[in-house]
Amino acid sequence: MNRFARILRNRRLLYLLLCSPIIFVFTPYIQINTEFRADPAKYLLEYVGLASTYIFAIVISVTPLRRIFPKSTVVNSLAYHRRPMGVSVFAYAFLHFLIYYFYTGSWSEFVKDWEKLFILSGIMAFVILLLMAITSNNRMVRKLGSRHWKRLHQLAYIVLFLIIYHQAAQEKTGFRETALIFTPVLALQCWRMILAGKASFTTRNASANQPKLD
Amino acid sequence: MNIRKSKPWNLPESAATPEGDYLNRRNFLRAVGLGSGTLIGGSITRAATGGFPSTKNENYLLEELEPTEFDLVAGYNNFYEFSYEKGEVQKLANQGWKTEPWTIEIAGHVNNPMKIDVNELIKKVGGIEQRVYRFRCVEAWSMVIPWDGFQLSSLIDLAQPTSKAKFLKFTTFYDPESAPGQKGGSIDWPYEEGLTVEEARNELTLLATGIYGEPIPNQNGAPIRLVVPWKYGFKSIKSIVKIEFTSKQPMNTWQALQPREYGFYANVNPKVDHPRWSQATERIIGSGFFSKRKDTLMFNGYEEQVAHMYKGLDLRRFY
Repeated sequence: MNRFARILRNRRLLYLLLCSPIIFVFTPYIQINTEFRADPAKYLLEYVGLASTYIFAIVISVTPLRRIFPKSTVVNSLAYHRRPMGVSVFAYAFLHFLIYYFYTGSWSEFVKDWEKLFILSGIMAFVILLLMAITSNNRMVRKLGSRHWKRLHQLAYIVLFLIIYHQAAQEKTGFRETALIFTPVLALQCWRMILAGKASFTTRNASANQPKLD
Repeated sequence: MNIRKSKPWNLPESAATPEGDYLNRRNFLRAVGLGSGTLIGGSITRAATGGFPSTKNENYLLEELEPTEFDLVAGYNNFYEFSYEKGEVQKLANQGWKTEPWTIEIAGHVNNPMKIDVNELIKKVGGIEQRVYRFRCVEAWSMVIPWDGFQLSSLIDLAQPTSKAKFLKFTTFYDPESAPGQKGGSIDWPYEEGLTVEEARNELTLLATGIYGEPIPNQNGAPIRLVVPWKYGFKSIKSIVKIEFTSKQPMNTWQALQPREYGFYANVNPKVDHPRWSQATERIIGSGFFSKRKDTLMFNGYEEQVAHMYKGLDLRRFY
């Protein structure tokens, strides 16, 4: 493995990068920011929500990227780090849920919004992410069996649509930011399905292409 | 005519902190490289609107509430003409956008239509006064703001509306070169708002030309804006260029944009939720991360002065 690949595989570097959004909050850049000072709960709510979304967008794009760029060092290191990245999606979602409690200010206010679809979609996504985070270790893979474990983690695609809805619904007008993040993600998923379709087409017709042996 | 007498508690202008000192007191932050993009160290353009210093109206001191810090009032703005980001508006609105001289057109069903300079208008209505009002945004946050201005009813008296006039339609400026947000986006510029004549004549309705005893900063809607404190903030249209007296209810911009969420009346009402969030409580701007929300008051606490206008009106239907 070359030097570059070795750096990319460094777990400590990954953890540092994954924690950097939190460290950044305590820098003057954020602390002086007017939007932060005006309504810190709202600002941080959106901030950690975005952190979760961005990491999620990367994690869910790993498989399609591997199909398209199977030899890329960067893509392969993303695949190598997929598990801790996935857990950090949950960690930021958990922070987001926690800050949401402070944003609403009280338990009664906290639960009042749960009947609204916009909030409900977030809660459903959170529950799935929780299940996936708990089972993100080798012991659970053995316990569930790899087939069931894989099924469970395919719920990530449900999370994808829940989050697209949840993020689009929170914007006041239109859904610019959501489109910006998720159009490439969805494009990659489509590409991967097309590639998979082509591959299965080839194997299905492989026998037909064999010379007939009399 | 509004004869202004100097009250003993009214400080002379010479006692005020010189504006240069006021802006430079945070120079050290600029030295550290944190000046740009924030109010601290940034410059504010103000139109030289007349009538200052204003006198406080004792009926509207609202002493039980603490006014929101000036930096937040002038730095946390919904002004989509400049940016969708509340923190970006202050910078963009002060990059050369001229808010003086400024002419307002008064038109429609009136006996006395006019095109008048803002400072002339202030002289004609007899000067300005300061009132402290609650301000409640539809996004469920609120501020307490000392506005300087005059009652809209004074302007209505000047204009002499005919019996055909049932509504007032307000229009904001249109200048995409100065206001980049107007170059596109989902809004059909310029921004428009409306009130019934009765609402416009209400004692609370103000045309504001200043905040905190000084001419209003650009990002707050210089040089003249509406303040309707018992309604959600989007009704308080900024930077007015035209007031038209109409017989038909005007279509206000937010209702045209999202009719299921924003209506014409937009009265503050804790019992009628926004489709996506509750309106029963509000976050107080500047109160910090751990602060509890405040219970939203019916008509934003102005029930006594405005409830009579809506007797018999189904406020759930007419949101």
